[in-house]
Amino acid sequence: MTLVLDQVSKSFGGLAALSNVSFKVTEGEIVGIIGPNGAGKTTLFNLITGIFPPTAGKITYQGKDLLGLRPYKVTELGLARTFQNIRLFGHLSPLDNVMVGAHCRTKAGVWKGLWRTPAQRKEEKATRERAQTLLKLVGVEEDIDSPASSLPYGQQRRLEIARALATEPEIILLDEPAAGMNENETDDLRLLIKKIQTMGKTVVLIEHDMNLVMNVCDRVMVINFGQMIAEGTPAEIQQNPLVIEAYLGREEG
Amino acid sequence: MDMLLNQYYLQIAVFVMVNAILGVSIYLTLSTGQLSLGNAGFMSIGAYTCAILTVKAGFPVYLAIPIGGIAASLMSIIIGFPALRLTGIYLAIATLGFGEVVRVIVLNLKITNGALGISGIPTLGTKISKMLSSFGLPQKFGGLSVQQTSTLLVLLILVLILVFLVFFCVRLNRSRVGRAFAAIKADESAAEAMGINTTYYKLLAFALGALIAGIAGGLSAHLTFFIGPKDFAYHRTVEILLYAVLGGSDLVFGPIVGALILTLLPELLRSASNYRLMIYGALLVTMMAFRPQGLISEETVRFWKSKLGRGSK
Ligand SMILES: Nc1ncnc2c1ncn2[C@@H]1O[C@H](COP(=O)(O)OP(=O)(O)OP(=O)(O)O)[C@@H](O)[C@H]1O
Ligand SMILES: [Mg+2]
Repeated sequence: MTLVLDQVSKSFGGLAALSNVSFKVTEGEIVGIIGPNGAGKTTLFNLITGIFPPTAGKITYQGKDLLGLRPYKVTELGLARTFQNIRLFGHLSPLDNVMVGAHCRTKAGVWKGLWRTPAQRKEEKATRERAQTLLKLVGVEEDIDSPASSLPYGQQRRLEIARALATEPEIILLDEPAAGMNENETDDLRLLIKKIQTMGKTVVLIEHDMNLVMNVCDRVMVINFGQMIAEGTPAEIQQNPLVIEAYLGREEG
Repeated sequence: MDMLLNQYYLQIAVFVMVNAILGVSIYLTLSTGQLSLGNAGFMSIGAYTCAILTVKAGFPVYLAIPIGGIAASLMSIIIGFPALRLTGIYLAIATLGFGEVVRVIVLNLKITNGALGISGIPTLGTKISKMLSSFGLPQKFGGLSVQQTSTLLVLLILVLILVFLVFFCVRLNRSRVGRAFAAIKADESAAEAMGINTTYYKLLAFALGALIAGIAGGLSAHLTFFIGPKDFAYHRTVEILLYAVLGGSDLVFGPIVGALILTLLPELLRSASNYRLMIYGALLVTMMAFRPQGLISEETVRFWKSKLGRGSK
């Protein structure tokens, strides 16, 4: 068990965005989190990554308590995320965006950067090459000199994945990566997620695209009104009457 | 030659250099997106530390100036811890308040001589001309008086400092720390989520800006015989901020160009001095309306690069 949530709740003022959610993520799996709009899925990611603290409950990663850790510390520990509303460093080039991701795995400070010591140059070269490899992996052209914000939407989503991968996470949290993508792009994304899994990483995927979720996930959790209402394999979830009523049913009807 | 190198022009050139150094200082704090208006306060700390060390404790100038800079940057770290929790306009107000606090303290302390200020500060120019005379340099050397030669040397020192600072910023930009600064400027919480200790880097940028402002303060104390609390009041802060507003703060060259223009402009407008502030105001409103990113932005550089690149093919 790498990531464990135990009876986690979060309320904003009077609104209970999440109540008593518990789950475990095992190493190497792809876990899907689905649920209607406003169910509390993104809130879950925000709690895990330390954007804000839970109102109650415990979150641990490899036995370490994540509560009270600043987001950058959580990332250092090996959890990285993407954002539902794309949050790239818009005016930086795609390559620089990914290189920023490598920040917590590199060392050179002001002094070494100023004098370009051999160690610094070696580190920069390695960082650049790794960033280029990641760009290739997600399918964004490496040598674009224009700002990341000028990329097409689908590319920006992929770039966010590359940036998160550059932090060398063990668990990557993807918040609706297929949003705004067409069918072909979504299919490429499915392959990419599978590839990330074969790289030995664990994936937690929030997604509205049922086709993608059912095809790529080993296990799916369903959240509705801040509560976990079901958990199981994609096949089980598709059969679950509660889920059909709360979520899939609504779409079909 | 004498026409060009008259004392008045040289003096203006010296002020342009000091202000350009202040431009680099505001550039550094702005490089993490922090709108800090404490630069005049840090400049004041640098100037007073330096002047007290040389006038009252007999320190050599070349030691006193860096010590002044370090004093300013230590102070920035002390106030930075609480202040950098604030963002945007709140940080601006807090740092502006800090500048005023420094001014009032300076006004009331004995060691700073209160409202009278510190006078009789040995200027760099006289130091250098004394040195030149002691080397046995004749009164006229290559057609230049000792005074001209020494002012030229002061100017050279300032140019070298500025060149080093530009080099520093350019190198910084293309390094891990510079990328962290840029990421924080673009989206602070995304930067934090990508593993950057934003508090540390914001404080670092703040302290680097204060260090340079402090050094500029020390330099300016040793360019005139006198410093007083009025020299570092909030109008000075506004002036420094205007360098960045006019020149742009994307690149280090922006505030430097801003400093150049805004230091030369009052001299050029001397005949229209009654309308000077009006012309300033008009200029800035025009900038805000038509070019809020300042004269020099990243797009400007991209544009000229591609244009020149195509031209050479
Ligand atoms: N920072 C916040 N402050 C106040 N309320 C919030 C905050 N973040 C989320 N909420 C509220 O919590 C609830 C859950 O929001 P959340 O963003 O987690 O939903 P979601 O499942 O990700 O929905 P979607 O599928 O639309 O992205 C919503 O009612 C939302 O308005
Ligand atoms: Mg969401």
